Amino acid sequence: MQAIILAAGEGVRVRPLTRSRPKAMIPVANRPIIEYVIDALIKNGIRDIVVVVGYRKEQVTRFLNGLGLPIEVVFQEKQLGTAHALQCAESKIKGDFLVLPGDNYIDPQSIARIKDTPNAILVKEHPNPSNFGVVLLNNGLVTDIVEKPEHSPSFMVSTGIYSLKKSFFSHIRGTDITDAISVMIRAGEHIQAVPADDWQDAIFAWDLLKMNRRLLKNLPTAREGTASRQTIIQGPVSIGKGTTIGPNTVITGPVVIGNDCTIGPNTVIMPNTSIGSRVRLDPFTMTGDAIIMDDTIIGSHSRIIDTVVGERCNLADHTSVSTAAGVMDIEGCTIRSEFGAVLGNNITSGPFTAYKNCIVGNNVTIEGQESITFRTLPDGSLVI
Amino acid sequence: MCGIIGYIGRRDAAPLIVEGLKKLEYRGYDSFGVATLGTTGIDLAKHQGRISEKAGTAARLKGKTGIGHTRWATHGIPNDRNAHPHTDCTGKIAVVHNGIIENYADLKRHLQSRGHTFRSETDTEVIVHLIEEEYSIKPDLLTAVQAVIPKLEGSYAILVIAAGEDRIIAARNMSPLVIGVGDGEFFAASDITPVIEFTERAMYLEDGDTVSLTNKKIEIFHNGKPAARSIELIDWSLEDVRKGGFAHYMLKEIYEQPQAFYNTIRSVDPVSLPEEVLQAKSVTLVACGSSYHTGLIFTYLLESICGIPARLEFASEFKYFPPPVTGLVIGITQSGETADTLAAIRHARTSGCSTLAITNVLGSSVTRIADTTLFMRAGPEISVAATKSFIAQLAILMQMVNCLSERKYDDVLQQAHKVIEEVLLVDLSEAVMVCKKAQSIFYVGRGPFYPVSLEGALKMKEISYIHAEGYSAGELKHGPFALLSPETPVIALCMPGDTYGVMISNIKEMKARGAPVIAIGVAGDRDLPDIVDIFISVPKTPLFIQILTSLVTEQLLAYHTAVALGRDVDKPRNLAKSVTVE
Repeated sequence: MQAIILAAGEGVRVRPLTRSRPKAMIPVANRPIIEYVIDALIKNGIRDIVVVVGYRKEQVTRFLNGLGLPIEVVFQEKQLGTAHALQCAESKIKGDFLVLPGDNYIDPQSIARIKDTPNAILVKEHPNPSNFGVVLLNNGLVTDIVEKPEHSPSFMVSTGIYSLKKSFFSHIRGTDITDAISVMIRAGEHIQAVPADDWQDAIFAWDLLKMNRRLLKNLPTAREGTASRQTIIQGPVSIGKGTTIGPNTVITGPVVIGNDCTIGPNTVIMPNTSIGSRVRLDPFTMTGDAIIMDDTIIGSHSRIIDTVVGERCNLADHTSVSTAAGVMDIEGCTIRSEFGAVLGNNITSGPFTAYKNCIVGNNVTIEGQESITFRTLPDGSLVI
Repeated sequence: MCGIIGYIGRRDAAPLIVEGLKKLEYRGYDSFGVATLGTTGIDLAKHQGRISEKAGTAARLKGKTGIGHTRWATHGIPNDRNAHPHTDCTGKIAVVHNGIIENYADLKRHLQSRGHTFRSETDTEVIVHLIEEEYSIKPDLLTAVQAVIPKLEGSYAILVIAAGEDRIIAARNMSPLVIGVGDGEFFAASDITPVIEFTERAMYLEDGDTVSLTNKKIEIFHNGKPAARSIELIDWSLEDVRKGGFAHYMLKEIYEQPQAFYNTIRSVDPVSLPEEVLQAKSVTLVACGSSYHTGLIFTYLLESICGIPARLEFASEFKYFPPPVTGLVIGITQSGETADTLAAIRHARTSGCSTLAITNVLGSSVTRIADTTLFMRAGPEISVAATKSFIAQLAILMQMVNCLSERKYDDVLQQAHKVIEEVLLVDLSEAVMVCKKAQSIFYVGRGPFYPVSLEGALKMKEISYIHAEGYSAGELKHGPFALLSPETPVIALCMPGDTYGVMISNIKEMKARGAPVIAIGVAGDRDLPDIVDIFISVPKTPLFIQILTSLVTEQLLAYHTAVALGRDVDKPRNLAKSVTVE
């Protein structure tokens, strides 16, 4: 059995986090999403893996090289759709194969369920089906598949995970796999619908927080760093090599902290928080329900909740984030959302900056004493 | 400069040797050959060209014992006849050799007068005829090789097989040779890259060692007496030497630079720096090629920040100067095998200087010659053009400057890798369009950016074959200015700091001569983008990191230009990875 992982697309709706990597490489619970997909395949004994790369391909390739698995990489020069991506890998495909999106989480059990059924789609109910390929079913067979319909006829959506035969390539007409599936159905081929157990897609950047909560549930406890004896650690908490936790810090799991971080003293880390490597959390700061990526510094007396913070940010003291519901304009669509903040890479903000339901682009500088509320700041902005 | 490999064990030797030679190809790639112990005697296949392009019949040779060679010609043009392995007059003994036999002309005359027929123009062939003579007296290969060794002058790592004796005899003197210790099998190779797929246990030989390998045991002799060498565990993984999904090793290695810099900074522990460094009153550096440029950057930083006088020499020129009687001599060599640098360090030692080596390869020759060694943590570098080893050398040297200036730069060095990561995203397509059409490119900078310009130009000429020269911006007016025209792009390094103002005036002067100027400056610079044709912006950072960011930008520019011109980036014509001949 072979598996083709599609990781060429940028994931524009997750901007600004995709500036230096595609969506599949965004760390959730401190591991890039694609690593969970690879893990699930390996757990099913599938070791023949091909990854289609495109956008920021070097970053993906470098990561895959570091895994120590014999993964093959093929290059899709222009991102012309999922079927085209698959065609880029056609010469590597030997027989029956699985196709998986590299930027969605999938559990190993679901893969076990589909891998031996050729011509099948893994499906799942979703409350907002119009962002996906919606499938219509009859007796466990797919009768139609509609890509991103405005008014969805069903709540059952395609997870983008397919089990296919090599002959699939003769059905490709349009640019997407769903088009080819429709062609197959019309030609009278049977396409099975296999229900998925646990499948997570982050459509928008703030959805990563939900995925983070879910993936932290499987967190093994590990203690490689050093924690002061006056630290209170409860629940599953993983602390990486070289990390030091200062006195009077309270950590309530599930929490994962990477390598070489400096936390505290006197900080609070609430559940569902992922902290990358070389992060500094200054005294009297609290965080919870957050993803804080590598090399970020968060000043003292700050409150970072319901927030995704990119790499290399430097948030000065008394930064505060509050959760609010608002309406966001993402790639021309108006989306209702409820979260604190999504901060891109390399953001510098001064003391007493307040964030509420906002998206801040990469390389933004905010002088301080500012409220960034219900706004989207483009890359490179300067707020004085 | 060549790559050699030998195998004895239970597998078929030839396919394994062919694969191994492909991994050693960076050491030379103008011809190759394999010899095995077949059923009837020695089977031989050798060809002109690259083994990665046509292994030909080499992989189909039979036998469980064999030797192979990939060549970078020194004596005799690359052709089938001059390719190794070389055989004696009877065709019963075969040898592969890396290095240069300096007294080969003498030996050859004597051998010819005794009736030996030479089939090639190489220096190597004398070895096999000498062994033939000894072997005819006493048919024992080990004794024969040991009798020949004292007659050879120069550098060599040799592997010898003889029909009827199921073993390989290896010997080394001033050329690299490592033994891989497997389970009922042994490997011998110029470096560990072809070996790590099969075993992680390696034995590094010393100069003057002779080794006998059978599939059961290894016997080591030093100057004729039995000796023991310890087994070391290799910490490089197979993945480290694979291209992965990258189009070229060079690009892979460029992308590994943030990690290489970070690992190296972390590995050079400021408290454990050798006393010689911390107490140094003056420093002399010896290096070749790219390493010379890192040395030059270091002299700027050391003199201006620490006030310690520093002198830098090309390793190949060092012997023509009387060495300083006191002070520290630092030799910089990625491979640890660069012949000129090794000679320079020996030269310094004999005159009583303390010596420090900076290298990327554990167990390489330089580590045994120098008093102390600092290792870069770059991992194996396969591409001929140095990239991550350059960055890692700089990491060590910058950390030394940091330690000699009360660790003022700890914070700066700790964050450098992040900025390098950022530079990898810089878009160079416009600059590449201009460079790929040029016949000549000039690189200019001032202060520490002058050596950065030299390195940028070196990268460009190495892999794109475009004539490129680095100048200090001030020197340009003393002659090279006459060469400027609208057809000669200038890459100007114009970073904020001491050199900024005068660089701006220099750029204006160059613009006045019609040369298109591509400037590398920092984001947020208001003046520079207006006066240059193409402005490449990198993040605004302190001086140490500016050096790194401008360097990485130049590497990427050279890489993308070479790719746009369709060059063989990883194996540029006429070049070899490390130069193990003087």
